[in-house]
Amino acid sequence: MNQENMLEIRGLNKYFGPTHANKNLNFSVKKGEIKGLIGENGSGKSTLISQIAGLYPSDSGEILLDGKPYTPRSPIDANELGISIVMQELGVIGSLPAGVNVFLGRTRQFTKNGVVSLKALNKAAADVFEKWELPKVPLNKLTDGMMIETRKIIELARALSVEPRLLLLDEITQSLSMNNRNKLYELINKLKSMGCSVIVITHDVEELIRITDTITVLRDGEVVGDLVSANTTPDEIKHMMVGREISGEYYRADMVPDYGDDIVLSVSDLTVPGEIEDVTFDVHEREILGFCGLSDSGIHTVGKAVYGLLKPSRGRVRLNTRDLTVKSASQALQNSMAYVPKDRDNEALMIHASIHDNFVLPSLTELQAGVGYLAPGKLRKLAQEMTDKLSVKCTDIYQAMDALSGGNKQKVNLGRWLAKDIKLLILDCPTRGVDVGVKAYIYSLMKEAKKNGVATILISDELTEVLGMSDRLIVMKDGRIADVIGRDEDFTEQSVIRVMI
Amino acid sequence: MQKLRSKQNPPQEKHNNQAVFALLLVAVIVVISVIFNFISGGKFLDGTNVVIIISHIVWPTFVAWGFCFLFACGYTDLSVGAILVLGSFATAIFGSLLGYPGVILGGLIVGVLLTFLNFNIFAFTKIPSWIAGISLAMIYEAVAVFFKVNKATETLIYTVMDKRLRILGELPWSIIILAAGFVISYIIYNKTTVGLNIRALGGNKAVAKALGINITKTLLMVGLICGLFIGLAAIIQQSIAGRTLVKTGLTSINMVFQPLAIVLLAQVLQKRLNIIIAVPLCSIIIFAIFNLMTIMGVPSGTLQEAFLGAFLIGFGIIGQRGYKGVVK
Repeated sequence: MNQENMLEIRGLNKYFGPTHANKNLNFSVKKGEIKGLIGENGSGKSTLISQIAGLYPSDSGEILLDGKPYTPRSPIDANELGISIVMQELGVIGSLPAGVNVFLGRTRQFTKNGVVSLKALNKAAADVFEKWELPKVPLNKLTDGMMIETRKIIELARALSVEPRLLLLDEITQSLSMNNRNKLYELINKLKSMGCSVIVITHDVEELIRITDTITVLRDGEVVGDLVSANTTPDEIKHMMVGREISGEYYRADMVPDYGDDIVLSVSDLTVPGEIEDVTFDVHEREILGFCGLSDSGIHTVGKAVYGLLKPSRGRVRLNTRDLTVKSASQALQNSMAYVPKDRDNEALMIHASIHDNFVLPSLTELQAGVGYLAPGKLRKLAQEMTDKLSVKCTDIYQAMDALSGGNKQKVNLGRWLAKDIKLLILDCPTRGVDVGVKAYIYSLMKEAKKNGVATILISDELTEVLGMSDRLIVMKDGRIADVIGRDEDFTEQSVIRVMI
Repeated sequence: MQKLRSKQNPPQEKHNNQAVFALLLVAVIVVISVIFNFISGGKFLDGTNVVIIISHIVWPTFVAWGFCFLFACGYTDLSVGAILVLGSFATAIFGSLLGYPGVILGGLIVGVLLTFLNFNIFAFTKIPSWIAGISLAMIYEAVAVFFKVNKATETLIYTVMDKRLRILGELPWSIIILAAGFVISYIIYNKTTVGLNIRALGGNKAVAKALGINITKTLLMVGLICGLFIGLAAIIQQSIAGRTLVKTGLTSINMVFQPLAIVLLAQVLQKRLNIIIAVPLCSIIIFAIFNLMTIMGVPSGTLQEAFLGAFLIGFGIIGQRGYKGVVK
């Protein structure tokens, strides 16, 4: 073993039934190294770091930590050896307070005579937040109802609370807004300066090159390349990931706004106390209207309030095509509006139901016969057609959603609305947790919807995404609209950031 | 290094909120009692009637605390009523053989062993707990009938306990046991590793597993803890009533109707009040309502239970008002 290597993996294999998820993997991480791990959805990245974190046992091969065999039987074993993880899809326990979530599974250290001292536990949790300069979170409050970003920060605090020598971050950046994302990079650098190592998984290729020292590319469970970040390019990585050149446009190529004169939706003085205030805008036919802002800007609240999921205290949402004021989500749905939330597993998909059920659910009204009868053949046809059209990777349409990768879940999540005659689509972080291939496909679906006259509200934490796709961009700050920038104006990251901060 | 920014400074946790809400609830109970007393022409707050109410809330409160642990881990067990019946039998039988040690050991051993057995079945067979629970309830009811404990008529099989052994059903002993049960359940639920692990398991099994919580061990611990409370409930129930009817055809589920109502009510209050504290207060509310209806001549059984059902729905609606459960 190379003496510099903190972790070394040789010939690692992992099977899930007939699926060979990791094939003879060789992988290593040096002390103080920031290692990137990238690959398409389903390429085996999460499986690999789950084995390192003690979540899954390996079927064969060996893992060496500091030159000694390392076979964690549980995440607690890994924690004890200084390895911790923040998972992509896992989360926190909503029915327990934030402080308890930080030390869950390790509460015995605060136990005396069988009783856990919550005071000591919360103090230790507060110390973790303080030490790593994480945003303050009410530690006594249940995490149920907290924002995804806050929950991710609690998970990060949990991982940092073990004083990790090796921190594993699986898709965490895509849950964070731009400001917190930048600060996370600083945190990673701080860990590096302390001699700790970090493995980062992200689908943002540019980000990966920027923040890592080296990158390992996986495809179909195998390592297809090890690269030095400073010497590689996004195109080289994308080519290695998919095994071919990604042809065609990624974002929009044009640099002028291109939408109709008809106003589809008018929002005026929309106010949700404590979240957004006096938000006013119009969305035109064929327009992609982008929303961006920092974590406290209220962009995600706009999506919910427009769709009727949050009740505003003031203002109104007027759907001009139907000449009505939107007051509830069911009313919005019945009037050709659709909403794809950021938190797809908890808010959008029936995660334990089949692909078939998830595809047909929004279209039941259109599919039912006169007396409300739903012909199974008709439902099956729709689900099969959409599965084929969107190239959802699955065993069949009756496979459960929770068995799919993030990208394929998102294809179902978005595609089921495109099966309907939608006039206005609200997309909140539609490419969160999906690889470059699926991302390109989602953008192509958006462009196709635009061509078909659909108006889109695109809310995103990724500046490149809103800049790449929007006709106009609304920049929000502290719950208010700070600026509206047209595609033909100063449509650059620098100009947007100036307004955001 | 710059600090990560949060949306806002976190609101200071209002530690006193729960105590204030509990006191408010107690005040509401007092006001309602005065109103009930007025409606019943002074019978409701009569000393004897108050003693009856207090005595009768004890065993359902213990069952309700047991349910708190059961529901917290995300499982349902419909055989609890049948275990209660067998526990009561064991209390009477062992009591007649060994005196007070037998009374206590009989109920506790049967309660803990059978509930622990149930959770072994849930954990290792992976059968949905509500299905396994119904099957186990039928088996336990049949076992009780098989033993035909010590008295039988054509339609009823029941057991009786010697009056001298029934002191735990009398005041102040039942209240002392209730207070001890409160302290124990509060500490286990809120301030022990096993209590937090149980709640984590019910909150999200995948996350709990990923954090290194031993799922099987935690489930078996639920069996032990829940069994302890069911066993204590059996002892007190037998001590108060003096006899327990054997029930078949899943009628043992009726035994836990009131404890279930208590837990449901407590779950509604859970957003503002710790569920372990809410349980005894909800017991008082429910038994006060039953008691008033009895005083007012409302026929016991179906009509009273229908009224209780309507009350639960009404209470649930009020309790959910203003609750913002949206995940942003």
